[in-house]
Amino acid sequence: MNKETAQNKSTLIYVLVYFILWIVLFEFVLPVNNILPKPSIVWQSFSALWEDYNLPVNYLNTVSSIYLSITAAYFIVHLISPVILNKKNFLTDFIHSLNWFSNFLPGIVIGMMIIFWFPESNYIEFIFVLFTSISSFIIFLQKEINNVPSEYTDAARSLGVSENKINKQVIWKSMQPSFYNHIIDLHLYIWPMIIAFEFIKGGYGLGSIFRLALKYRDLSALFSTFIITGLTIYLGIIIIRFFKNKFAYRG
Amino acid sequence: MLTGDKLSDKLTLNIENITKHFTGPSGAKFTVLDNISFKVVEEGSSGKLISIIASFSSGKSTLLKIISGLETPDDGTVKLNDKSITSPNGEIAYIPENPSSFPWMNVADNINFAMRSSGKLNSVKEIVSAVGLTGYENHYPDDKSLGFRFRISIARALAAGTKVILLDDPFRRMKSITKDEIYELIRKLINDFGITFILSTPNITEAVYLSNKIFLMKKNPGKIIDEVKLDAGTATAMGLDRQERFLSLRKEIESKFVSIGENLQTEVHF
Repeated sequence: MNKETAQNKSTLIYVLVYFILWIVLFEFVLPVNNILPKPSIVWQSFSALWEDYNLPVNYLNTVSSIYLSITAAYFIVHLISPVILNKKNFLTDFIHSLNWFSNFLPGIVIGMMIIFWFPESNYIEFIFVLFTSISSFIIFLQKEINNVPSEYTDAARSLGVSENKINKQVIWKSMQPSFYNHIIDLHLYIWPMIIAFEFIKGGYGLGSIFRLALKYRDLSALFSTFIITGLTIYLGIIIIRFFKNKFAYRG
Repeated sequence: MLTGDKLSDKLTLNIENITKHFTGPSGAKFTVLDNISFKVVEEGSSGKLISIIASFSSGKSTLLKIISGLETPDDGTVKLNDKSITSPNGEIAYIPENPSSFPWMNVADNINFAMRSSGKLNSVKEIVSAVGLTGYENHYPDDKSLGFRFRISIARALAAGTKVILLDDPFRRMKSITKDEIYELIRKLINDFGITFILSTPNITEAVYLSNKIFLMKKNPGKIIDEVKLDAGTATAMGLDRQERFLSLRKEIESKFVSIGENLQTEVHF
């Protein structure tokens, strides 16, 4: 068992212990309180979430905005990778200049401006995540290019292979393991941002459920949505890792 | 039939007055290679192995990269059969010290990556047979030995139709038994396919064992100080390092480096 797997296993054990403690303490020992809800009430609130808070639509809205945008961004960046990896050009200079602003402005602040400009749009959330992901991927690739082992590129160039082929089959491929790690990091950055985006904007999304639950002081709905969000993020990481192991080379 | 299927009949590699400067972190300019010249002429049907012996950080890798066209010299020229090499063109393959086979491609894909119709060996089957990897076409290199990965690098060079293969100290981390097998492979490629190798190494024994000719290079700045011509097929004719001539050559080269204040490896790995 490697170090990472062992660490994951021990973390899971801790999470399970917390879960059992919550059930024992809040179901059987402590009286009803405003800190954490009773597990049995949380269980019942799932059906309320489904009907009263329109969970399926809101859930699908958030999850599709995040995962479809990241997937689309991956394929777009893959498509334009020869331009990104080749040399400095207008596109990368443009993205870097925008990134300069993002160093001082958190993503959600930019998100608020977008909400102000497009308050009624149903697709703006998707476009917001797509643009954030593409920018993040381009900046990552431009930095990561310096970490591609020179023995791969030197050997390939000396064989008279074209730069385009080297970019596609050597540099891009060589970056894949760290690129997938970056996707996991980006996905963890986007989740809270998009929840906040939906919370502020209203309309559809898990952020909107949080907003309503807070408005009605519905602790069990808040807690249930918290569990659903956490499990979805956890599942997201597992799926991205699965793709990494499947498509990014070993080692 | 593969044996005798020569990749080149005649070859002249002319390295003339190569000088290269680098700028250090403090902005100071220093000379890495100082006016390096030598010539490799191959007229017979078999290839050659030329060694450049130098200690670590002496500019060996820079010199090989300049010869392959991966780096440009500040002064001087590299000509292969009177054609200037100013950028990599596939005629001179560079094999770095660290394994350069791609771990995300299997052996066959690694070979296909470099395959060119201009090469004399233009099927994966022929190439894997030439480098001793028959049956391993679908194997991935990342969990294999350095020798296996080195064979893939050689196979790619053959697929590209390369005339000269530059070896940048590739044997340093190999196990003795692997080295023996790789030495045999190199001899086979020299004799059967007419490939010319230029090996850079700090290991005197290795160079004497394998080479037809040895250039001795000092460091700070890198400069050729002497050359030693060996008998054709010296190593095989003499047999390991037991022979008197082998030992005296090794001693002679070692003392030349000692006289300029540089100590090089002489340990026997085979």
